[in-house]
Amino acid sequence: MKAVDTASDPVSRFAMRLMETPALRSLPALQKEEQALNVLRANGPQLLPVFTSLGMQVTRGWQEPAALVARALRSAADRMTEAEVSELVSSRLRLSFFPALSGGRPVPAGAAGELQGLITRAARHPVARSALSGSLAAAHSDIIDKYIPQLFERKKYIYVEVSRVQKLSLPPDALADLLRFIVVVRPAAYLFVMAGQVIDRESGYTPLQEQYLSKILPGLASGVPSIPQPILSLGLRCTLAWQEGSTNVEATSRLGAIMALRGRALAPAVTVDRGADSPDKSWFNVQRRNARFRGLDGKMLDELYTIASENGW
Amino acid sequence: MKKLGEALETVVVIAILLVLVHTFLDDYAVLAGWNVGARGLLVWTGLAFDVFFTVEFLVRMYLALMERQGVEYFFRQRGWVDFLASIPLLLLNSLPHALALLAGAGLLTGLGSFLNVLKVIKAIRIARILRLLRVVKLFRSIRYARSPMAQGHVSTIATIAVSILVLWTLGASVLEVTGIIPGLDQPFQAGQAQRAAIVSSAGAGPGLAARAASAAAMDSTLLVVRAQGGPIVYSRYPSTYYADQFLPGDYGYYLSNGVEVFTDERPLSVSSSREALVFLVAVVLTVLAFLFIYAPRFAMQVSDPIHVMRRGMAERDYNLEVRIPRGKEKDDVFELAALYNSVYLPLKDRMGGTEGAEGSAEGLKLEDLQDLARKS
Repeated sequence: MKAVDTASDPVSRFAMRLMETPALRSLPALQKEEQALNVLRANGPQLLPVFTSLGMQVTRGWQEPAALVARALRSAADRMTEAEVSELVSSRLRLSFFPALSGGRPVPAGAAGELQGLITRAARHPVARSALSGSLAAAHSDIIDKYIPQLFERKKYIYVEVSRVQKLSLPPDALADLLRFIVVVRPAAYLFVMAGQVIDRESGYTPLQEQYLSKILPGLASGVPSIPQPILSLGLRCTLAWQEGSTNVEATSRLGAIMALRGRALAPAVTVDRGADSPDKSWFNVQRRNARFRGLDGKMLDELYTIASENGW
Repeated sequence: MKKLGEALETVVVIAILLVLVHTFLDDYAVLAGWNVGARGLLVWTGLAFDVFFTVEFLVRMYLALMERQGVEYFFRQRGWVDFLASIPLLLLNSLPHALALLAGAGLLTGLGSFLNVLKVIKAIRIARILRLLRVVKLFRSIRYARSPMAQGHVSTIATIAVSILVLWTLGASVLEVTGIIPGLDQPFQAGQAQRAAIVSSAGAGPGLAARAASAAAMDSTLLVVRAQGGPIVYSRYPSTYYADQFLPGDYGYYLSNGVEVFTDERPLSVSSSREALVFLVAVVLTVLAFLFIYAPRFAMQVSDPIHVMRRGMAERDYNLEVRIPRGKEKDDVFELAALYNSVYLPLKDRMGGTEGAEGSAEGLKLEDLQDLARKS
């Protein structure tokens, strides 16, 4: 296979242009990549004329040129993701919750850089990359900022779970920052998962075991020494399956798990047809029914569904 | 070629809208007593519209026949509406009227026999009701981008309703004209015939002028009396007045014992135009009701939910639920939608999408990729 790394070759240019088409423009890079790969997979044989126009050899079928285009897409997505993560860490991912969770310690100077390194590392791992797609989408969107003030206003189940059961006394802004932190750390839990033959969109959402997390936590924590293990652990524990009545997963991690999964399904450009319910309301309702299957907190989903419903989200 | 077709469809739509205005003005002109010049103009424009729609029908039919789709076009794509709203109107309505208008100047100076033909023309004038069928043609041009089903359904129902209204009214008018059912104008015309019979009872000899004046004093619709082919012995108005106010169709004509009697039939025309306007409004309101009341309800209760479910099944990342309106939970479509919401979507979510469903990048088409490849 020939290399396709240079932006000057037609395949790389094609990949870049494909990711910037109006249909994909509003999506985060990893979702762009996922969607473009879907199109390649679904339309492979019909794309032969496209591959021919790009000067590729198509005598041995469509799979080989499609693999080259997929590699070019991945390279383009890598470059874009790096820029996105850098922008996220520098502007949206504030660690305002840090003092409250670390006994009053200020945010260490290297924390943001270490966090960026962890996310970038996740982006390079096939399974973690699949998880990162939804996490970055959630962190970039307003989904967290939209719901947190509502939770504080309502003071119902989620608020009680966070403030009384988990005993976190954070203002809404800091809680939103913590949730963003949790959702972007979550993919790191999959860094040691062996990639199977097929890396599909479910790969990064398979629940993990508590013992497994205990094993990988020290190794991960050593890569981000500025961030205390209990805080890092909140992000990793998003991947645990929650069962009704159990207290094994903290409220913020449960909420983070929901938000990360929601991020995966965010589609900013989707047309809400007449006769359809709003995106958030639809999604939370479906997840209410799948809560046990996905190991999500059903009561949290109920409350989020109610908020979405009341606000037409 | 496709753009030309679309442009022609637009022209047809504009023509249909204009013809509606024309239909209104045609009757309003009679009610308002517009002069011959204005009403004559309406006759010519009516002829132009009928020629236009006749050509349109013939072209469509020809193209359909060329593609061996003649039966399909005529019966299933409402070619019969195109036919009824064109050729019969041209032959039975606008063309005879235009011809009568051309002959109009000589009516009182020797072409009285033409007025006998005009009686037939008046009888078949009822065919003009068919013009209203053109409203149905509008539906062909309305495009519900997302739901051809809604378009087809509403169009079919509107066609049935308007066709029944129009064809029934046409049928009733035919029964009136043929005398099977007595019409409201029968006493009026009987009175005029009786007066004409009195005037012409003693033939065209001496005393005709006196009889005519006496009858005219009793009947304000008696206009002109003359011996057949001879000079006028009585006229209610100066001839310039007739030229300005009367179209050929406004005269009643009686010939007996060598005496020609012309009467004013405009009161009948006023009554008939009033009825026609009421009918026009009824048809337009019916169509508007289908378009703006029934069509949105149909869309909301049938085609929109189906559209949402179809997308949910066809597109991997389209996971919006169907909104079920309060009070409609027991409708078949919404019972299905409830199952889609509560069973299908959760299962689809668990499977991470639908096997074989399209990738979801909304709007990302194969053609786009080909374009991009050419540019790269």
